[in-house]
Order: sequence, then C-alpha cells, then structure tokens
Amino acid sequence: MRETRLMQLQYATALLALVLVGLHLLMQGVLVPYGVAVSFQQLLLTYRNWVDGSLLEILLIVVLAHGFNGARTILVEWKQGKRWTSLANWGCLALALISIAYGTRTVILAVFGSAS
Amino acid sequence: MAELRLRIQRFNPTTDSKPRFEEFTVQQKEGMTVLDAILQARDYVDHSIGVRFSCRMASCGSCGMKINGHPKLACYTQIRELGTDTVTVQPMDNFPIIRDLATDLAGFFEKHREVIPHIVRSDEQEMDNPAREFVMSPEELESILQFTYCIKCGLCTSSCPTSATDSLYLGPQALAQAYRYTMDVRDEGGQERMKILDEAHGVFNCHYAGTCSAVCPKGVDPALGIQLLKRHVMSAKPPRRKGEGAKLWVGEKK
Repeated sequence: MRETRLMQLQYATALLALVLVGLHLLMQGVLVPYGVAVSFQQLLLTYRNWVDGSLLEILLIVVLAHGFNGARTILVEWKQGKRWTSLANWGCLALALISIAYGTRTVILAVFGSAS
Repeated sequence: MAELRLRIQRFNPTTDSKPRFEEFTVQQKEGMTVLDAILQARDYVDHSIGVRFSCRMASCGSCGMKINGHPKLACYTQIRELGTDTVTVQPMDNFPIIRDLATDLAGFFEKHREVIPHIVRSDEQEMDNPAREFVMSPEELESILQFTYCIKCGLCTSSCPTSATDSLYLGPQALAQAYRYTMDVRDEGGQERMKILDEAHGVFNCHYAGTCSAVCPKGVDPALGIQLLKRHVMSAKPPRRKGEGAKLWVGEKK
C-alpha cells in the first residue's frame, strides 16, 4: 500500500476515533455513572445491546488500526533499511490483527458466552 | 577595535576520534562577517582550518554552518548581529563531516536529483528543439517564485528533526523543489514525481516542525511547500494551478 493510502487511513481513523471515544466516554461516564458502567452485569448488558456492542467493536478496530499504523510510521523513521521497513510494516499489521482478534473474542464471549 | 573570541569545532574523521573546540582571537572590523573572522583565523593563525566558501554574498550556499548553535550562512551573518564577543562555529548537523566546518553534501544533492528538479515535457522533440516560448502569467510565477530562490545550502536539512533521525528522508530542500516544479505551469512531470514522493521516506515524513523555513537565509518557506505538496499527493490529482498558461504559446489566441 502506498503511503498516501496509509495516511488517509490514519486521518480517517483519527476522526472516527474522536467521535467514537467521545460517545464511549459519554456512555461510560455521563449517561451511565462510571461505577455502574464498569460493573460486570452492566458490561454484559452493554456488549449484548447490538448498538453498544457494535460501537465498541468498531472503536476497537479504529483505535488499533490508528495506533499500529502510527507505530509503524515511527518505526520506519527510527531505523532505515529494506528489511527493517518490511519487518515494521508486516509486524505492525500482524500485531494489529492479533489485537483486534483478541478484542473481538472478548466481545463474542460476552455476547454468546454463558456468563450472566 | 574589539577582539573576538572565535571557537571553531575541529574534526578530521581520518585521524580524530571525536570533535574538539579550538579558540582563536580575531580582530573585529566594521561589517565583519563570521566567514571573515574564520578566514582571518585561517590566514593568520592556522592554515589547516577546513572551511568551504565561494561567493561571499549568500548566492552559492557553500558556507552553511552552525553559528552559536543556529544554522546560518557564515558570509551572511555579521558579527555585530550576534550581539556577543564569543562566536562558536560548528559544521551543519545531519551531514557527514569532511573536515572541521566542511560537510559532505553528496547525499543531499542526490536527494535533490531524485525528485526530478527540472521541467518535464511529454514531447521530447519539443524539449530538444523548442520552437516557441511558453506563456507564464505573473500570478503563476508568483506561486512558485520563492521556491526558485533556493541556493541548496543545506541549512534547512541541517535543522530538520526528521532528517536527523531518518537518513533516507528526502528532506525539506528536495521536497520544496518537487513542489516548485510540480506547480510550474510548463511542467508535465507531476505524476512521475508523485510516485517518488509517495514513498515511506517521502513527503508524509514531514512532521511540520517548521525549522526549515525558520533558518532559510533566502526566505524560502519549504514547510509551506511540503504541506501543499501533501495535499496534492493525498488528492492524487494533478496540481491545481492558478491559470492555464502552459497550454498557450506565445502568439496564440485564447
């Protein structure tokens, strides 16, 4: 992927994260008091509500894509060389995918798991 | 006349393990520049001081160095404007040192060449045998004029924090020249140039510190050119120019 596409992704995820993190904070601290929002039962309810659950999943993907793409930029600038650039590119992509998969697993377990 | 304490960083990569400072006492004169002071020390005290210079009038860009910690042209910096009787001179940062104050600009010029710093026309015949002149309006000229003042002294690259960490980064000078030629209404090489700029160490590595523009002795604003260049690369469209002068030949009717 050319740098332009990666930068467009970076700008788009930054703007999306701004909105989604705002919504997330609104839901977790303002509309629902923080102490209640982070209780186990309330978390399960949040995940099982498909609007809230989808928002959390999208937030997870957006923030991780932004973070790892940013880390990739820093790493490529930190050291130079074809091998290092390739390692930074693929390494960050792999870490992002693993993190997204792990986070999604949490959402899936909360929604379809036996906990109640 | 007052005496000037001149501290010169000395370093010969072939014999020295690390740089050291040597002090020289120079007689100040009215209108004396830092280059004059260095040359006085070199001519009358130590002939081995390594310094590069040529025009002595801020046209050739040879005498770029750090003066009291700031990248400047030695021939363009008067002792009086520094407001001190102690002047410390060091070679520019982000360049390999050849000896003392002389730095190796080969890589810098290579990056300049990389961005195709000349007008490209699709018709090679026309380039080799131009029959007529192109029209360029004053407004079109004005949009690129400041970037044509670049003398390739290297001060912008020397002050750039990205160039300090990323040796493959094209640097403010090359990127500003890429903008200058891409915006030139006579140029048709924009797309070719964009491919070079849209790489891992290209235009998006600029983090807009703005030091390049702050230190340019010719008043060029490379940071501005780079931000405008980012917009062109991002939109993946040919640059929007003020006029359509390039399509007109002298003597043709609109």
